[in-house]
Amino acid sequence: MGFFTDTTLCIGCKACEVACKQWNQLPDDGFLFTGMSYDNTGQLGASTWRHVAFVERTTRLPGQGTPRDGTEAGTMAFAPLRPAGQPGTTSLLADFVAPSHIESPVPLGPTQRALSNFSWLMMSDVCKHCERAGCLEACPTGSIVRTEFGSVYVQPDVCNGCGYCVSACPFGVIARREDDGRAWKCTLCYDRLKDGMVPACAKACPTASIQFGELGELRARGAKRVEQLLARGVAEARLYGESALAQPGTEGLHAFFLLCDEPEAYNLPPDPVVPTKHITRAWYAMAASVVGLAALCLGAVAGARRT
Amino acid sequence: MRARHLPDDRPHDGRNVDPELGALLGEGSHQRVKDLAPSPAAPRSDEVPSLAYEADRGRSYYGLPLLKEPVWRWYVPAYFYVGGVAGAAAALGAAAQLAGWRGSPGPVRQRHPGVEHRLIGRCRLIATAGAGASAVLLIADLGRPARFLDMLRVFRPTSPMNMGTWFLSAFGACCAASTLPHLWPARRPWQRTVSDAAAFGAGVMGLPLCTYTGVLIANTAVPIWHGTRNALPVLFGASGAAGAASLLELWPPGGTGDDVVHRFSLLGKTLELALGEVFAYEARRVPRVARPLRRGASGALWRTAQVLSAAGLAATALSRRGSPLRRTAGLLGTLGALTLRFAILQAGRASARDPLATSEQQRAGRGGAAELTERDRAGASHPALRGVGAGRETEAAPREEHP
Ligand code: SF4
Ligand code: SF4
Repeated sequence: MGFFTDTTLCIGCKACEVACKQWNQLPDDGFLFTGMSYDNTGQLGASTWRHVAFVERTTRLPGQGTPRDGTEAGTMAFAPLRPAGQPGTTSLLADFVAPSHIESPVPLGPTQRALSNFSWLMMSDVCKHCERAGCLEACPTGSIVRTEFGSVYVQPDVCNGCGYCVSACPFGVIARREDDGRAWKCTLCYDRLKDGMVPACAKACPTASIQFGELGELRARGAKRVEQLLARGVAEARLYGESALAQPGTEGLHAFFLLCDEPEAYNLPPDPVVPTKHITRAWYAMAASVVGLAALCLGAVAGARRT
Repeated sequence: MRARHLPDDRPHDGRNVDPELGALLGEGSHQRVKDLAPSPAAPRSDEVPSLAYEADRGRSYYGLPLLKEPVWRWYVPAYFYVGGVAGAAAALGAAAQLAGWRGSPGPVRQRHPGVEHRLIGRCRLIATAGAGASAVLLIADLGRPARFLDMLRVFRPTSPMNMGTWFLSAFGACCAASTLPHLWPARRPWQRTVSDAAAFGAGVMGLPLCTYTGVLIANTAVPIWHGTRNALPVLFGASGAAGAASLLELWPPGGTGDDVVHRFSLLGKTLELALGEVFAYEARRVPRVARPLRRGASGALWRTAQVLSAAGLAATALSRRGSPLRRTAGLLGTLGALTLRFAILQAGRASARDPLATSEQQRAGRGGAAELTERDRAGASHPALRGVGAGRETEAAPREEHP
């Protein structure tokens, strides 16, 4: 089970952030304003398990538009993409809204020209629940486990707060909370899954940007959606981390994304890898170092005895 | 920010959950609510980039960090130093013991007050004290010290931190067993045997204890640490030797022991300096990754460490037995080894804060999965990484440094 987050459908309403906080009873972060865009959360953290990123760019995204421009047709456009087990989206646009082309009654001048070269990308970010998770492999206490749903779960009663997972996550997701010194992150709503419900964020998403379901099914939907977008001229559309082939470093993500720009634009690493994949080299270097240090000690002792 | 409708005498909760109406059972309900202090000085509006990424800033999301900074405080670099010195000292002591194994190795001071034994005794003491201090520092750094024992719940080679706890436990047990019999009132031969065998074990365990910390930080996503995973364990080993030698120079055992320490110090300090260069070279393969070694607090620390170590080496080389210069060499070497650890931690912090360090390293085909793919390209070929291959042409050239 996992998430497919189709960022082309995200409208930046932050319903997922709120739903996550509310369901998991996470405390607030202090209501700080970052001053950039509409993103006042900044990044994922110990008490922020969903984060909506707002990417403002001076580039035009082909195919971007509103239902009024005739590029989308109300919920019809999303009909095949409804979250599993949910009746439908809660968009105010009914299926019968026909695409139409409305031009502004008066020319908007420089504003219009400026806006024509401007686009917003939004993405609801979350723990990727990597197939091979850096946090899990690094945790020295065995506090991080893989659940029966394939998600990566931190057991708060075992975590001893060493903070190793924080540096081992190639996505900068998991964080340690200063007050209790433990690591926290998205649980994929483990408690809800146990009761047969979908995660709170997916449930709350009004545009089906966050879809929850079986990974195989989600991958098929993702591929279809990319095709749809490419056909519409959105040449940048691509999936991020959908499988082990696409992202060998993590062997695939249980929360993958459809992006319309390079990963860095969304604060995602272009080629993440579980640090542990490279660890053998480091252990070899350590073995060499152990031998060298032993030789150094013996050499110093043996050399001196002859004097 | 807090629920206004609650009467003031009821406990307020930053979740806006009235504990009398709703149960606090959610996954995050373990988290205590932060004391909502007034916000730290927010960046001025003219400091905040208005666009998510701008051509001259490089591709990133408003320049926000991509990774989480290492959370470790000063205890951890201090632990790296103390553990390294203890491990190397135990190894040197065991080597001295091995060299004079037949006939001579007696308990320190009492039976055979020979000069080698003073060296062995100092090594054992440094090792034991270091093992104790290491445990204290390690526990002090955990957010929840009460749970230290959880580290021994599992045995996990993919987690150097877990392996290190095992090394440290074994090392500590050996050190204790090598020192305790001497505190026993009546001395028997078996105590000597136990003590010598344990000191031997401590020497063997000291080798990984001294070097595993390099693997520990190399096995993270922090660009500069991950990118220097070949050099780090060796650098830490050499620096542990230099640190132990410097301590012994400060506290010379006398006689042949002094010669041993002198040689050990010369070799250890030379290697420490040389491997520092190798480390910096390995980091420089992607210029952006090596930036923390040149700039800011980490750059200053790094240069200080280099200067101190070089001065320590020079002083060792020029000094004679018992001269004050030798103690100065010990002091410089100690400070150098200590500063080195802090410089490396600080560089890791700076490197994790810089989103471009991560992305440029991975775009350059290092520190990411591309490296593995390239390595076994001869075998079953993976398809080109979309994210990586796409940007190759434009991103391959090292980016200009931004002021
Ligand atoms: S490594 Fe990071 S992204 Fe992957 S499961 Fe762990 S916290 Fe989530
Ligand atoms: S902080 Fe907790 S969850 Fe993270 S590695 Fe340490 S023990 Fe494991």
